[in-house]
Amino acid sequence: MSSVEFRKDIFADERDDDFNEIGKPRIRQDILGHVTGRSRYYDDHLFDGLLHMRCVRSPHHHARIRSVDASAAERMPGVRRIVRPSDVPNNLNTLLSLIGFGRDDEPLIASGKVAYRGEPVLVIIAETEAQARAACNAVRVDWEVLPHVLDVEEAIKPGAPTVNETYPNNTFDYGRFDHQKLRFGDVRKAFREAAHVVEAEYQMSPIEQAPVETCGAIAAPETNDRYLCHTGTQALFFSLGTTAKLLDMPSSKLHFIGGTVGGGFGGKVDSLTEPMAVLGAMLTGRPVKFQWDREEEMQVGAPRGGERWRIRDAVTADGHIIGREFTGFFDSGAYTRLSSYAIQKGTGHLPGPYWIPNVASNIYCVFTNRTPATAMRGFGITGVDFAIECHMDRVAETVGIDPIELRILNSYRDGDMKPHRRLAKNCALVECCQVVAEKAKWPISQEARSASSLAGSSPERASIPDTAVDEEGKIGDRRNREIDPAPAPGTKTVPAGTRQPGEMKDAGPQRPDMMPDAAALGLKRDQASAQRQMPAAAPSARGAPQPVAPAQVRPAAPAAAPPAAAAQPQPSAPAAPPAREPGPAPSTGQPAEVPYQPDKPFQRGVRRPGVSPFLSGSRRR
Amino acid sequence: MITVETFNTHREASSALNDRTRFLAGGTLLMRDVNYAVPGIEHIVRSLEPLRTIRSEGDSVFIGAAATMLDVINARETAFLAPVSRAVGGPAIRNMATVGGNLFAPSPFGDFTTALLALDATIHFADGRQEEIETFLAQRDSGRRIVTAISVAPPLSGSFLFSKISRTKPKGPAILSIAVRLPSGGQEARIAFGAMGPTPLRAKAAEAALSRTRIDEQGIAPVIAVATEGLAPADDALASQWYRRQVAPVHLKRLLLGGQR
Repeated sequence: MSSVEFRKDIFADERDDDFNEIGKPRIRQDILGHVTGRSRYYDDHLFDGLLHMRCVRSPHHHARIRSVDASAAERMPGVRRIVRPSDVPNNLNTLLSLIGFGRDDEPLIASGKVAYRGEPVLVIIAETEAQARAACNAVRVDWEVLPHVLDVEEAIKPGAPTVNETYPNNTFDYGRFDHQKLRFGDVRKAFREAAHVVEAEYQMSPIEQAPVETCGAIAAPETNDRYLCHTGTQALFFSLGTTAKLLDMPSSKLHFIGGTVGGGFGGKVDSLTEPMAVLGAMLTGRPVKFQWDREEEMQVGAPRGGERWRIRDAVTADGHIIGREFTGFFDSGAYTRLSSYAIQKGTGHLPGPYWIPNVASNIYCVFTNRTPATAMRGFGITGVDFAIECHMDRVAETVGIDPIELRILNSYRDGDMKPHRRLAKNCALVECCQVVAEKAKWPISQEARSASSLAGSSPERASIPDTAVDEEGKIGDRRNREIDPAPAPGTKTVPAGTRQPGEMKDAGPQRPDMMPDAAALGLKRDQASAQRQMPAAAPSARGAPQPVAPAQVRPAAPAAAPPAAAAQPQPSAPAAPPAREPGPAPSTGQPAEVPYQPDKPFQRGVRRPGVSPFLSGSRRR
Repeated sequence: MITVETFNTHREASSALNDRTRFLAGGTLLMRDVNYAVPGIEHIVRSLEPLRTIRSEGDSVFIGAAATMLDVINARETAFLAPVSRAVGGPAIRNMATVGGNLFAPSPFGDFTTALLALDATIHFADGRQEEIETFLAQRDSGRRIVTAISVAPPLSGSFLFSKISRTKPKGPAILSIAVRLPSGGQEARIAFGAMGPTPLRAKAAEAALSRTRIDEQGIAPVIAVATEGLAPADDALASQWYRRQVAPVHLKRLLLGGQR
């Protein structure tokens, strides 16, 4: 059945070949319902007296709202309720606040000003969808159109209009900087030594996920002051938590039903329709449906953000890439949503699957007056991978080397040090390239054919070099003067072997009671205090594989303390999430940021120490 | 609240038309507007009169206004229009969309009408009157009349060319469409553009140039030079008016030269 060919001859000694699932065809768990037309999507749930919700949306990219006149709409037939920004109990949110990342910056219903075309400014609930639409057309908004900015590099110039008041410089904050830095070795030195310098720019446009089922939700009052919500979200508990926060209610009052998604691909994690539908049910006491139409899906449905990448490579005459510099811009649109995280993912991914001894990158999460961007399959990685692999071909052309051989030459070998200071392991790009060449009947040299991911590392490749760091691009500096967005020359050198330069500390928990309670989790030792006692920086023994450092774990982060770990007592080094990469940017010696503190603490739903008030246990893995 | 009224004949139905009324045929345009609550639709009028027949009458082919794109593809009499019908929508749309409805399709739709314009079709109304298609299109959006049929003289073999340029193939809407009737056997040259104005429009300067030249790279140069004269393309999500003006002559040249560049 399967057309996949498994090359089990490669790395045969590294693997037990007794998998029960991998390599075996499986029937999708929900396919029977889908192909027989029996799957019930959220819109298949029927309610008596269902009301319909529609938004009055901004026709402008950027405008101040002078006034909203809904008096005509209020008198129209079928109109049950006008929902204004003041009706939203907690009308400011950022999606990742649920894990304490970023500041609240996005209203559910805009008041004061709009920052992208299609932003909702008023909501109308009526007996029929047509009545709701007609009433929306009758609302008069007095707009004061403001200058807008749609390009990432225009947006970070001095004097660019401020898109998002929460981030007045049009960039998300990363520590003290307006961009995420990654520094490893000294790229300037590499460029001086290089035989070729290869530079190019790559640009990816936003992409809409375009699900067949547009985003939407139906909410209805349930007994005991609870609200039921049928939704097409792909992130059911994330949506539940976001709804609880925006509506300032305990999550225990919400009963979300979903999981049958008519197409998601990242476009259904933004949790915009669920809070709106539940709010509608709260305000009217009746079942309310909020469903985007196709135009809304295309206009306000958050896409994969646009990206711009500039890559500059220092290459020796024989094709070794000895330095690589990135300048990356993610277009977050008007609000953060998940883009701030895409930058972290992207930085952790650099410089691609290649061992390069000198790497520097500046990546910007930029706010523009475009539709906010969000998740889409592999976001943060896909764009830069496209750029990197295009660039590899360009390097191959410049140096005059076969593109597959260039990749084999520069691939990570097991034991190589990566720029974010972890050792590469389970590398397999060399073997992939060899198999691809073989399958495509692409001739490669004997040397490339005999290369292996297992051999080729060295103590030099396994070590952290002297690293040049700089202080350019502090938050707000770009407002006052034009600063080259590319990585600046180093002004200081962090000595070789430094794993975590400076006194970079993890942000503490937002509130003391968010610390995991070891006893409640069934642990024998207070794991949080154990983690904090781990040394922050330990020079590595050259070439020796490093254990995963639990020092990276933030006790407050949701990734800590998985339920599996909680179930079985782990006395020594508990609950270090193995997949978690460290914060990739070694910045220079400065005390850590003041931890994020919301003005108003989150409403508690489940009052158990260490348990998020919004989410059930399933997120805590 | 939208009311739907059904009449036995088109003549009765046309008496019920007013500013807030729309006539329902295949529904591929109207039902989208109804679903999206486009303001101004309060009354929908239908007629049960069967007008789907396609038949030859003398030199002309009569196409009932309710004939669908699929009917046009399947009828022997309209073989010359089959490639045009195939360019309209996808199979589901072609199954419902009617010839009469296409006459009223707003830009960038209306590829079939573009072809009819190049073929000098005649429009027949429920009140028995008839009108040249160009006259009809010029006042299309102000009139309140129901079309019952179209009559069109089949072009001489090889003298009719049609091309639809769209970004999504095979069923995307047109960036522009071009229909050309080459001058032959006493028929004058016609060049009609779709999506290059509020309705399909003739490029009369180019037609005049085409009627006094031969079809080769050099011969058509004067035609191409004036290709967009008199056209009024608009910006939409598919293309800007600037882009449409830039590419229209290129596509006309390709069409005239039969795919040669």
